[in-house]
Amino acid sequence: MAIVALDNVGKAYGDGKIVAVRDVNMTICDGEFMVLLGPSGCGKSTTLRMIAGLESITEGELRIDGERMNAVPAKNRDIAMVFQSYALYPHMTVRDNLGFGLKRRQTDKALVKRRVNEVAASIGLTDYLDRKPHALSGGQRQRVALGRAIARDPKVFLFDEPLSNLDAALRVSTRAELIRLHRELRSTMIYVTHDQVEAMTMGNRVCIMSQGKVAQIGKPMDVYLNPASTFVASFLGNPPMNLIPAIVGEDVIDSGCGRIRCKGFQPGRKITLGLRPEDLAPIDSAAEAVISGRVISMESLGAETLVHLDTGGAKPIILRGGRETPAQLDEILHLTCDLSMARFFDADTGLAITPGDKK
Amino acid sequence: MRAQQSTPRISADGLRMAALLLFVALFTAYSAGPFVWVASMSLRTTTEIANSPYGLPWPPHFYKFASAWFDSNYDTYFFNSVSVVLSAVAVLTVVGGMAAHCFARYSFRFKGLLYFLIFSTIIFPPQVTVIGLFQIMVEYGLYNSRLGLVLVYVSIQLPVTIYILEAFFARIPKDLFEAARIDGYSEWAIFWKISLPVALPAISTTIILNTILLWNEFLYAVVLITDDDKRTLPLGVLRFLGDQLEDVGMIATGLMIAIVPVVLIYVFFSERLIQGMTAGAVK
Repeated sequence: MAIVALDNVGKAYGDGKIVAVRDVNMTICDGEFMVLLGPSGCGKSTTLRMIAGLESITEGELRIDGERMNAVPAKNRDIAMVFQSYALYPHMTVRDNLGFGLKRRQTDKALVKRRVNEVAASIGLTDYLDRKPHALSGGQRQRVALGRAIARDPKVFLFDEPLSNLDAALRVSTRAELIRLHRELRSTMIYVTHDQVEAMTMGNRVCIMSQGKVAQIGKPMDVYLNPASTFVASFLGNPPMNLIPAIVGEDVIDSGCGRIRCKGFQPGRKITLGLRPEDLAPIDSAAEAVISGRVISMESLGAETLVHLDTGGAKPIILRGGRETPAQLDEILHLTCDLSMARFFDADTGLAITPGDKK
Repeated sequence: MRAQQSTPRISADGLRMAALLLFVALFTAYSAGPFVWVASMSLRTTTEIANSPYGLPWPPHFYKFASAWFDSNYDTYFFNSVSVVLSAVAVLTVVGGMAAHCFARYSFRFKGLLYFLIFSTIIFPPQVTVIGLFQIMVEYGLYNSRLGLVLVYVSIQLPVTIYILEAFFARIPKDLFEAARIDGYSEWAIFWKISLPVALPAISTTIILNTILLWNEFLYAVVLITDDDKRTLPLGVLRFLGDQLEDVGMIATGLMIAIVPVVLIYVFFSERLIQGMTAGAVK
């Protein structure tokens, strides 16, 4: 167990011309499950690899339990990593794979054997110990990769999109397995993913990254409910938050296709109004509508229905309805929203603002 | 009309197959013919061969093999070949493997230049370099020594060994090496515990290829070795070449002694050789 601290950490390639990661500041607490989330190329894997010691740190400082790690080679950091490809040694049996890292640190063969057997039993691999990786299914390989990390009992666990290669059903069960594992081991874990479901369900905290920088860090629901920017608002949630350009009027915000009562912003200011699809609800009165638009498509997903409205903007507005379709195609639908659930962003910077902000 | 329709016709596929079989048969006869002829002559005396060059080996004179082995120093040649080739192949595998691992995995200054220098040596035909090499070997006291021959063999086969292994090492996912680094292993340990075992198909290929090529090598051996007791098997034929007479029958017997190990290696390991050569070609 350990505290991992990143202090203005950055990574640049080619004499500083290409910056992959910049000014990453975060402290991952002892026993915390931190998820690094972001789209491809946002720098999350590079950040993880810098923590692992597989990439050099060109800027800032990395500390594990207070000890500066920038120049410490990967093999001396006492971390374990689970790779997206699993990275199992193909010429070794499951037993040898599980014990490979352990043998390097523990010379007592009896202890290594006992630990390998314990780990194999805990992840249900006892019957497969003498098989080689090519004779295992994807899920079993994934468990071997996990077991290899567990066997070492490292200070920090790192996961680089470990569920990406699994099918949907296996992904759900392995996700639950990882959550159970974290609860049992109480180790510090850092998990990279581009899948927001994994981030929302697994992390104690989520760090959302964009273009090499940290966009927001917080508890999953806090980040979901209070996104710090339009990027976070549009990245988190499926479907994402509706972002509507609006202008502040006298005690109202006019979205062009409706209005919401709100005080505190300077009249005439351009802002972006953010409304989650599940916070919208149909009403009869056009005068009270926050948004009005024509229904252009409906997606019935079984448990819910997504209704797409054309309001004349660049993107359709999405309403998440219940199982019963709340509208007809081409119908004009009026939607309302609880003011407390509406979010506001500066039109220029995209950063979250709250009523009362001066500008 | 009915009689015409019932006439059996050869399909286009059948014709194609017949043509292919004919081609394969001709090619096999062309390739294997000389070998069969030498094998046949190895069981006949020079007099018999002179009387009928293409005659059958009947009665077969198997004693010729014992005679070559015990009376014509072929046992010494055989063990010389074994020691020289095994030593050269062992060094080639380890040094070539290490070099290939470095070229495939690391970025370092002058990597391209170094790669070019190593490969530039295969541009020149051996007939060009052999004179200079002879001079070097004499000056370093390595002329007429098996150690010298081993070093020469290593140097001539190193580029192609590196080439084959480097291509294979480059295809090993880098995650494997990174996992081993995180597991606490040094680069040296990673080479021995990960690179080499994972690259076993390619390693086997280079071992088989180098063994066959060096076992049959004649030019460098004939230039750099003079003592009869240090000769390798391909030089054994020199014993049957006189100024006045060529003992063709014994030359054929000697050749068969030299060839048989190579043929056996190929027969038993050809599948692995082909696997190594084509590994990764088809996913």
